[in-house]
Amino acid sequence: MIPQDRLRNFSIIAHIDHGKSTLADRLLELTHTIDARQMTSQVLDSMDLEREKGITIKARAVRLEYTSSRDGLVYGLNLIDTPGHVDFSYEVSRSLQACEGAILVVDASQGIEAQTLANVHLALREGLTIVPVLNKIDLPSAQPELVLEELENVLAIPREEVILASAKEGTGVPDILEAIVARIPAPRGNPKDRLQGLIFDSHYDPYKGVVVYVRLAAGTLHEHEEVRLMASGAESEILELGVFRPGLVPVRSLSAGEVGYVATGLKSVRDAQVGDTITSAGRPAAEPVPGYQEAKSLVFAGLYPLSGEDYPLLRDALEKLHLNDASFTYKAESSVALGFGFRCGFLGLLHMEIVQERLEREFGLDLIASAPSVEYQVVLTHGRGTVAVDNPSRLPAANDIEEIQEPWVKLSVVTPASYIGPLMELSTNRRGAFQDLEYLDPQRVLMRFHMPLAELIVDYYDQLKSRTAGYASMDYEEAGYRPANLVKVDIMVNGEPVDALSLIVHRERAQSTGRVLVEALRKLIPRQMFEVPIQAAIGSNVIARETVRALRKNVLAKCYGGDITRKRKLLEKQKEGKQRMKRVGSVEIPQEAFLAILRMGEG
Amino acid sequence: MTEREPAELATGLEAASGPAPRSLYVHVPFCVSLCPYCDFVVYTGRSTRGPRSRIDAFVGALSQELELRADIVDARFGALGSVARRPLDTLYFGGGTPSLLPPASIAALVQVVRERFGLATEAEVTLEANPGPDDRGDATGFADAGVTRLSLGAQSFQDEELRTLGRRHRGAHVADAVLAARSARIASINIDLLYDVPGQTLASWTDSLERALALAPDHVSLYALTLDDPDAEGLTGELGDHLPTRSGARRWRAASRRRQDDERATAMYHHATALLAGEGWRAYEISNWARRGHESRHNLAYWWRQPYEAVGPGAHAFDGTRRRWNAARLEGYLAALQPPDGSKPILPPGSSETVDASTAAAESMILGLRLDTGVPAELMAEPALTDAFAWAKSLGFLLVDGSRVRLTTRGRLFSNELFARLI
Ligand SMILES: Nc1nc2c(ncn2[C@@H]2O[C@H](COP(=O)(O)OP(=O)(O)OP(=O)(O)O)[C@@H](O)[C@H]2O)c(=O)[nH]1
Ligand code: SF4
Ligand SMILES: [Mg+2]
Repeated sequence: MIPQDRLRNFSIIAHIDHGKSTLADRLLELTHTIDARQMTSQVLDSMDLEREKGITIKARAVRLEYTSSRDGLVYGLNLIDTPGHVDFSYEVSRSLQACEGAILVVDASQGIEAQTLANVHLALREGLTIVPVLNKIDLPSAQPELVLEELENVLAIPREEVILASAKEGTGVPDILEAIVARIPAPRGNPKDRLQGLIFDSHYDPYKGVVVYVRLAAGTLHEHEEVRLMASGAESEILELGVFRPGLVPVRSLSAGEVGYVATGLKSVRDAQVGDTITSAGRPAAEPVPGYQEAKSLVFAGLYPLSGEDYPLLRDALEKLHLNDASFTYKAESSVALGFGFRCGFLGLLHMEIVQERLEREFGLDLIASAPSVEYQVVLTHGRGTVAVDNPSRLPAANDIEEIQEPWVKLSVVTPASYIGPLMELSTNRRGAFQDLEYLDPQRVLMRFHMPLAELIVDYYDQLKSRTAGYASMDYEEAGYRPANLVKVDIMVNGEPVDALSLIVHRERAQSTGRVLVEALRKLIPRQMFEVPIQAAIGSNVIARETVRALRKNVLAKCYGGDITRKRKLLEKQKEGKQRMKRVGSVEIPQEAFLAILRMGEG
Repeated sequence: MTEREPAELATGLEAASGPAPRSLYVHVPFCVSLCPYCDFVVYTGRSTRGPRSRIDAFVGALSQELELRADIVDARFGALGSVARRPLDTLYFGGGTPSLLPPASIAALVQVVRERFGLATEAEVTLEANPGPDDRGDATGFADAGVTRLSLGAQSFQDEELRTLGRRHRGAHVADAVLAARSARIASINIDLLYDVPGQTLASWTDSLERALALAPDHVSLYALTLDDPDAEGLTGELGDHLPTRSGARRWRAASRRRQDDERATAMYHHATALLAGEGWRAYEISNWARRGHESRHNLAYWWRQPYEAVGPGAHAFDGTRRRWNAARLEGYLAALQPPDGSKPILPPGSSETVDASTAAAESMILGLRLDTGVPAELMAEPALTDAFAWAKSLGFLLVDGSRVRLTTRGRLFSNELFARLI
């Protein structure tokens, strides 16, 4: 066993795509944690979705054993690779709580970006030691001098501390390992004290029950020990404990400062939640370690099974997935149009997309998502208090509303200075209020805005990227509620209100939004056997109307020998298309129609 | 053809791996020029004329493929003359423009077919031809070669529409072609027409239709102009049965699609249906009308799911359980069958898929419903199908008489809606 003073716990943090997972690959290789034959690029991004999208979605912990060239001793390094996308900063902050240090990766060709700043601030708030790495110096477009200066000016990181590296080619990686040993402090916590372990993640295994991932703050955990989860009160004899290499490898004990997993054998997902403290049942700790602040959902949407019978499967799937991703919320709701489903809260739109995709793939479900919304605070008339509304169709009647308040965010945008104008325009069109502007270097600026969250989630990020040729990056954090002049727009398809399409918008924009939305729906709803009117209305007042013309024919003109296979495949595709649609009244509505609101752009 | 329409064949639901093929398709991939809407495997320009013409090499390769395919059929069913090997009932030269081949080449190919597959005395031998003077070919020569049926790609009688479609002939040429075929004593003549053409009107369509009927053909095929994208369907890969769409054609299709109109197309179909019914034509398939006894036996074999053999690039064959096709590209085709180094010819590249029982049933139903003979009415009671049939019935798509259920004209126009629900 490696003594505590030779343990190092650290996360790798960076802006998206700056090379965290690639650096992790090199660290795994250099420490022979993974067999060369099993090595792939970004080997820790093991989820299908991560590989497809080329981004890290979930933080991953790995235990490395490294023999330092300084003293020839073996060190135990616990690495956590974190995601870079803004939606997952909660995942980053949780990872940081299990560490004493952080490797800050900055792309030498891009420089400091919005998430670089955000993640550095998270690490500093946790009091972590930062090991700065300037990555991708192999790129011809790398500008190490400029970026070193940026780090010095903006983050007060002295250039002597920065390690120049290419995670792709391996340059500088040995220096990074030495810096980890030399600069990051060992964890503290007495192995002889009563056991306290913080659960930072978990998954469900059909044989081993709930497997929790822990960082031990104090005490030592042994094989077959009886443990207790302090918040839930559940107790069990553990089936297995071990470390991540990166697969699960059993060990006989884990002690203070170490990171590992514990197979609890518990069958109920509720008994072992992330943030709970694991302790010994026989000699329990007096207090739990401070848990996590709950992730705050910013974006809400309904998730409904395409066919009603799958509702119990969806409930089960949500429960299991939640174990692996504690950052979304869900509660049962029903919709007139979509039947029984769940209102889910997400950290952002990418998070929403990923949860939906994981539910579909990992649990074989077909889902419909309703249009995403933010959570409003509605002050009722006659002093009847305030209600939170995360579903536009649940907005109280107009005459019960004293005032509606909507969430605002502080938005930081890092951009080449040449795009200041377009971004200023984009942001103020979205009711954003400009705050200030700071030069990071002569060519790049950090702009700050305050903006209603609802304006941000629609497609601000896409617009930001398209208006800056992809160069700008953004980050945001909550900034409280402000009253606003908002109204609910209802959508009627074939005369029937479709609650899942209702939305809340600023009164001045209701008319134009209604028009754009019904126009978008007209294009998205396929022709039916009859004419289908689509209307947008505020109360009983119709503000926009379009018609989907009736289908006139759908026939394969020519069908001869060579075409039979081809035409059958086309029919199969039509059939699949129909199965992906939700029948509302007598109209078949495709999934995309419910998300039309996100694709409306700004024209 | 009535003798060939036993009820159990019309249902097509019988077990698949059955008899040896009695139909053969020959694909001739050459045209004088390329029509921008065309999805067929076609080569144009220098391939068809002058010193770089590949037609002769191609005819050689075709004969070679016929030999190799015949060897396989022999091995499977016994040599020609054995009980299981009845001679072919239909032979079809399709394209492309098979009328570009010299009659002697057609005669030579028919001879190979006769020797290796057999050809019944009453066999239907169809040749597709374009009506224009430069690609219509010599009808008498074709008749002497054994052709009994000529299928003319007239498409329209309006010169303006023909120009839009990129066709080389004029409306007036169709009459010449029909006349030549008649005087060559070709027994059965088909005229192809297209509707939903950009710029077409109900009046111009009616005019084309009436001028076609005035020529007293025996069969008409009326097709809605279909502007597909084989690349998007994934059909144009190395072993695909289609060639990639040229960028000019792609642009033409996008622009033309905007000038198509379902409402107008529907009116044209209804109008044609009424007109032809009034004159006693049998609407025996969604897009095909015939005078009694002139139904295309070759195409009926497809719709009845009978086995058929096929040769030529992009050609499809069916042996009762497996659908097989040759890759579209001519180079690979020629290289396999006429190896430049003089080595032994091999079968051309291609691919296949096996049709499982449930897919076979679905195919039979779809193909059966395309025909005016329909499918057995018992199918409507099958638990998996009742909803779809009830839905179609409520919309007036079906006609049940006695033991058969068939599509009404309206049902034909919405047939895909029904088929997608039935499979
Ligand atoms: N040229 C070069 N490319 C690199 C280097 N490091 C990473 N990359 C490339 O940069 C891209 C992003 O790398 P990742 O390791 O996935 O980045 P990440 O920071 O983990 O990304 P997220 O997890 O999505 O935030 C990949 O295409 C890598 O191959 C480097 O040192 N040099
Ligand atoms: S003549 Fe027929 S086969 Fe040739 S290009 Fe035109 S449509 Fe295609
Ligand atoms: Mg990553």
